[in-house]
Amino acid sequence: MKLTSVKYLIGNGFKNIWLNKLMSLASIGVLVACMSVIGLAMALSFNVDHALSGLEQENVVLVFFDDRNSALYSESGTSPDGTYNEITEDDYSVHSFEDAILLCSEIEKLDNIASVKYVSSDDALLTTMESMSESDAKFYNVLFDSDDYGNPMPCGARVTFQNLENFDETIKSIEAVDGVDSTYSSKNIAERITLIKRAIGIIGFWIVAVLLIISLMIVSNTIRVTMYNRKLEISIMKAVGATDSFVRLPFMIEGVTIGLLSSIVTVVICYFVYKAVDGTIMNKLGIVSLIPFADFFWILFGIFAGIGCFAGLFSSAFMINKYLRKEGSEFRAL
Amino acid sequence: MIDISEDFAIGQRPKAEAPLIEFKGVSKNYSNGTHALDDINIRINKGEFVFVVGPSGAGKSTFMKLIMREEKPNTGDITVNGFKLTKMRRKQVPYFRRTMGIVFQDFRLIPNMNVFENVAFAMHVVGAGRQEIRKNVSRALNLVGLAEKARCKPSELSGGEQQRVGLARALVNKPSLIIADEPTGNVDPNMSYEIVELLTEINRRGTTVLMVTHQHQLVRDFGKRVIMIEKGRIVADSANGGSI
Repeated sequence: MKLTSVKYLIGNGFKNIWLNKLMSLASIGVLVACMSVIGLAMALSFNVDHALSGLEQENVVLVFFDDRNSALYSESGTSPDGTYNEITEDDYSVHSFEDAILLCSEIEKLDNIASVKYVSSDDALLTTMESMSESDAKFYNVLFDSDDYGNPMPCGARVTFQNLENFDETIKSIEAVDGVDSTYSSKNIAERITLIKRAIGIIGFWIVAVLLIISLMIVSNTIRVTMYNRKLEISIMKAVGATDSFVRLPFMIEGVTIGLLSSIVTVVICYFVYKAVDGTIMNKLGIVSLIPFADFFWILFGIFAGIGCFAGLFSSAFMINKYLRKEGSEFRAL
Repeated sequence: MIDISEDFAIGQRPKAEAPLIEFKGVSKNYSNGTHALDDINIRINKGEFVFVVGPSGAGKSTFMKLIMREEKPNTGDITVNGFKLTKMRRKQVPYFRRTMGIVFQDFRLIPNMNVFENVAFAMHVVGAGRQEIRKNVSRALNLVGLAEKARCKPSELSGGEQQRVGLARALVNKPSLIIADEPTGNVDPNMSYEIVELLTEINRRGTTVLMVTHQHQLVRDFGKRVIMIEKGRIVADSANGGSI
């Protein structure tokens, strides 16, 4: 196709939008409504994902090292009468602070590990005491706060995972490291987080899929109306020897322009709705603020532009092709 | 019964040249069971002016649709302007149509375009440049006598004038064949003569003209070759000394 034709047709496409301004406005309106739902669903999904990622990070696995305390209070260290056996250095593998740090770095090298933080026996005791009720703490003091027993907590590490989907495998790989005595984790939370993430993914997919189909139908309908309005023009085009692509191009430009305009309007609407929700509702509810809109602006705009262009191109090409392939009525204009 | 050889001048056929339009054993049936055309054999040469006449439902429209490749025949071969229509691929159809100009009974002018734009539209479709469009459209409008009305909208013109715009549009790409489907059907009798005179002038300049009409007086007065179709068959052709 010649450049002069392309220029003429692009101009024609824009002219059509103006000539069918009511219909174009109606389809932009419905398309904006659809994409706004998609946008807000996505914004919600981004935020839930972000919050869950935080939870994933906070879902700490406690790793207890095989140190003297660990050996002392293990079954091998306790005799059947309840007294403690003599523990030698060969009975445990973490003998010093350096050994513990080395073990931490070994754990850090494993797959799916986000962070490893060493916890000394004293820190572990302090944390445990803090989490105890007052009466429990008193009971503990009576039992352990004497020279005979001392601090019973083994040293260890607080480990976080990159994602919780490979939870069991990662736990197994930590437990296989030489020097690790045992682990403590709340697997239940990990499973729930994974489940929620999957559910959000599936719901999000279906929302996008259904609204995409609705968008396609809306743009198709606009193009069909435009085509009906321009039946006379098309019949003349065909009579004077217009190629199919010549007839098709203005409709495709019209469809894509409607799609792009809708995506711009949607992004603006989503921005203001998001800002309003972040600034007022969330603050009033006392919930932490949302992810900044700018963080996912381009992703959102890219998706909207993609949906808009796809809906515009696909539906216009589909509608006009259906019309152009009708034999025997090409010149029947009215 | 009118004797064509006496009432109409027989179109001259250049013997050495290949025909511009040739139908060989062409039949057309529609899926609803209508037998529109039955075993049509005809040759129309370059430079001829041919009237196609016949009652409603005789098959004239199908005959024209086959020439324009709007329909395909069930049997037989059609050649127009050197294009073998029965073997032609869909993609070639637009290029074939550029060799002809079509004039419709209902003018088919785009209401929101002025006279100049309506004529120029046909040139935009074939990808002509701005300069070429301006030159050719002015020439075509001069030929049909509407140069002064170039800026008028179709609604501001009479029926005859609108049809002349339609003619200018058909002519602007300099086709070798003009197909006019009852071009005088929507204009008054005086204007009908003007339209046919214009077509005669176009024909005199070398363009082949094929015109469908119901106005027998017009056909009689202009004395050109006449093909008469009835019940899907050619029942008379003045070129063969046939009579109506």
